[in-house]
Amino acid sequence: MTVLRRSFLQCAAAAAAMMPKPVFAEMAGLRIVSLDYGLSSTLLSLGLPPVGISDLADWGRWVVEPVLPSSVIDIGSANEINFEILVQLKPDIILTTPYLNELLSKLQPFAKVVRLEVFTPGAGPILPAAIAATRRLAAEIGRQNEAERFLAHSDAFFESCRNRLSGRKLPPVALVNFMDARHARIYSAPGLFHNALERIGVRNAWEKQSNYWGFETIGIEELSAIKDPDARLIAFDPIPPDVLPRLADSPLWQRLPFSQPGHFSVLPPALMFGMVNEAVRFAGLLTELLEKDS
Amino acid sequence: MTASRRDILGPALVTLLLFCAGGVASWFLAAPALSAPTMSAYDIERMVLYYSTLPRLATALLAGAALALSGALFQQVLRNPLADPTTLGVSAGANLALVITSLFLPGLLGAGRDLVALVGSGVAAAIVVSLGARRGFSPYSLVLSGLVLSLWCGGLAAILTYLNQKYLASLFIWGAGSLAQQSWVIPVSLIWKLAVVSIICAVLIRPLSLLDLGESSSSALGVKLIRLRAIVIVCAVALAAFVTSAVGVIGFIGLVAPTITRLAGARRPAQLILWSPLVGAGLLFFADSVLQLVAGELGDFLPTGAVTAIFGSPLLLALLPRLKIRHRIQQAAIQKRSRRWDTKIPIIIAFSILVLLLLLSMFVGRGVDGSWTLVFGEYSLDILSIRIPKIFAVLASGAMLAVAGAILQRLTGNEMASPEVLGISAGSTFGVAIALFSIAPGFSGQFLFAVIGAIIVLSMILLGSRRSSFAPERVLLAGIALSAMVDAVVGVLSSTGDPRAVLLMRWMSGSTYLVDGMSAAAETVIAVILIATAFAARRWLDILPLGPAPSAAVGVPLARARLALFGLAGLLTATATLTIGPLSFVGLMGPHLAREAGLTRAMPQMIGASLIGGGLMVAADFVGRTIVSPYQIPAGLVSALIGAPFLMLMMRRKA
Repeated sequence: MTVLRRSFLQCAAAAAAMMPKPVFAEMAGLRIVSLDYGLSSTLLSLGLPPVGISDLADWGRWVVEPVLPSSVIDIGSANEINFEILVQLKPDIILTTPYLNELLSKLQPFAKVVRLEVFTPGAGPILPAAIAATRRLAAEIGRQNEAERFLAHSDAFFESCRNRLSGRKLPPVALVNFMDARHARIYSAPGLFHNALERIGVRNAWEKQSNYWGFETIGIEELSAIKDPDARLIAFDPIPPDVLPRLADSPLWQRLPFSQPGHFSVLPPALMFGMVNEAVRFAGLLTELLEKDS
Repeated sequence: MTASRRDILGPALVTLLLFCAGGVASWFLAAPALSAPTMSAYDIERMVLYYSTLPRLATALLAGAALALSGALFQQVLRNPLADPTTLGVSAGANLALVITSLFLPGLLGAGRDLVALVGSGVAAAIVVSLGARRGFSPYSLVLSGLVLSLWCGGLAAILTYLNQKYLASLFIWGAGSLAQQSWVIPVSLIWKLAVVSIICAVLIRPLSLLDLGESSSSALGVKLIRLRAIVIVCAVALAAFVTSAVGVIGFIGLVAPTITRLAGARRPAQLILWSPLVGAGLLFFADSVLQLVAGELGDFLPTGAVTAIFGSPLLLALLPRLKIRHRIQQAAIQKRSRRWDTKIPIIIAFSILVLLLLLSMFVGRGVDGSWTLVFGEYSLDILSIRIPKIFAVLASGAMLAVAGAILQRLTGNEMASPEVLGISAGSTFGVAIALFSIAPGFSGQFLFAVIGAIIVLSMILLGSRRSSFAPERVLLAGIALSAMVDAVVGVLSSTGDPRAVLLMRWMSGSTYLVDGMSAAAETVIAVILIATAFAARRWLDILPLGPAPSAAVGVPLARARLALFGLAGLLTATATLTIGPLSFVGLMGPHLAREAGLTRAMPQMIGASLIGGGLMVAADFVGRTIVSPYQIPAGLVSALIGAPFLMLMMRRKA
């Protein structure tokens, strides 16, 4: 099933690349630098790979898919980008988020700065915000057709996941990143993964609203608030090395329904603070997991 | 015997009160589980009660007792009412050791967690105690060194975490002392460690009580002072290390509990050592259960340790007047007066090195492909216009901090005095934190908030110390107590995992990232003006270290001179901190290296210090910019990394 998801991501990129030349011919060779993982992967899907992105070194640890072309250059951490390298990349457009607002005046001399907002306080669900941001990005770089095609593809993918899972008895799932043996981050509304769950028809076992990024920091014992005995706990890699052995020793963990065989699984890394591609990746990974198990 | 019975009554009442209040609070926590109908199949409420709520309460009791005992032991053996694992840097040392290990040698943590914590806190204690020993265990000097070390370790641990972990802030949580539990492992392992140390203490109580008679009488009674001190300190350090290794840094319990015990009437050492742990246990028990209730209401994650620190550090401020402070004459004043050519040569050498560093830093860098390159060709102007403002900003900041350090060291006669401890950088940090979390302004807004924060803290400290006519010791201790409080607030903010905390961390790590041409120019101009002002005050700075009486005799207006000099040091620090963060340690290193080079009088020392401080920061900026390019290590952090070994070296040489 991995093939299916991967081929989606590849097709989306390839289809975009093979599209007829954009209306604005001069936009074809735009040199774009992206300071956000979600925007970077969206660019790939719009068929316009960035020339440079921030935090390239950690891409494989947090985002994984889509795979970046080897031509992409690392411009340092998003918290502290390397302006000396940025200037040598001669970007036409720099993509940024409101978190880097303080940089705006410093980036403007280098290129046109396009700021896109996905995570906004009080703005509601993330996935629709990410879709809107994708359309705005496409409009900025003259790739509206590719964007519509990409979004249609992703809608179809969510739909296919929903169909694959329909008719099965699906457990509610709780999504966490373990921080250490005593604490975890749990993902819920209005977060990106929560929206993806809604799209593929899986219930989130963690019903509380969280902050506008869609996560909450909890002690492991708070997982007991999940009352459904069928609930599944799904943790994302990377998991700190000592967490699983220490959990296994904890009597509380042993009494939680998640410690029963088949109630706890680990998924490969997926970026919870991403955009449409990341929601797609998560939906695909989860669908495969649930198909395999039920 | 009536007197001693009354002595016991007070602490007993306090303990009872705390336990009752904590009991009531924890009843609210446990009641839902107890009142829930028992089902035989799946009773998660009860499981949470048995394996999370109760172990957490037990851990709070044990950790509170251990920290309070540790604090009481430190206070007794060092004869210092302000000593505790937080103020002596012992907890922070353990924390830093654990953070470093978990980042770089995670394999070690499985079995050797306690050992790592012990090594860290042992090293911290060794540094602080050996510094203290050289000054006859002066309470002030000891706590000052300890708090500096504590802040430094805490800051470094936070920054290392920030640089290494993108989305997972677990080390923040743990560094901030969370008591959340899911099993009995931690409380059970704590209880036997606490038991072993308590037995040792029980044996030591009698000789410890004799210490109160004074050194000569207690030696006459057969107490082997050095060995006794060593054993007690080891016990106290071990207690703090065990707690830190188990649950992270729990701030100030070791200071608060013995103080309450003393205020409640316990006077004799035996009473203090017996009752402090009980009061401490009750205190943390009460604090943690209330915190759990409150956090439940807020639906937010609050680490207990950072919260106790927020409430504990003001107590430090309140306790300051109880410290006996003697004025110490600066050691350098005793040294042989240097000959004329002595002062010129070091300054010329320092100046030439600085020029070389500037050239290197300006023209050498790393290219897009990571290779080392000289600046030339197409992009040279662009690159230079990015680089040069940063270089001059760090140069100016380094020089300002070094001069501020020289002023403070001369004012206080304490070689550990550095601008970081004035609390001004803490004020700036706090200002930025408030700005980021409330209205999220741009860079200029942050700058404004930082300046306002610095000014408020500085005026608070100065107003508070007016009564003591700005006795340097009080000013510095007040500053550092405020720093500790700000540190705790920052700890709470960071451990919530809020992405905005990252911006705060960048601020603290002393990154020149946001410096541009305008701010660099402004900073350089301010630096020149302020440093020139400091040079103009050289006569005061030569005379004040001789002590209050001689200064008054030659007509220096003591209070006004001190106020002016502190204000000047404050301005220097505030401006510099904005660029290179609160942890650079240049203010410590610059003046020291200058004095080591034979520049003992105020004017040459300040010139040398500013050259050396500026040069250090330029070098730090260069290393940080190039060594892991395209990633950049903040200049302030690089210089802090140099500062730590420097601190150790300095102590070994003079010990």
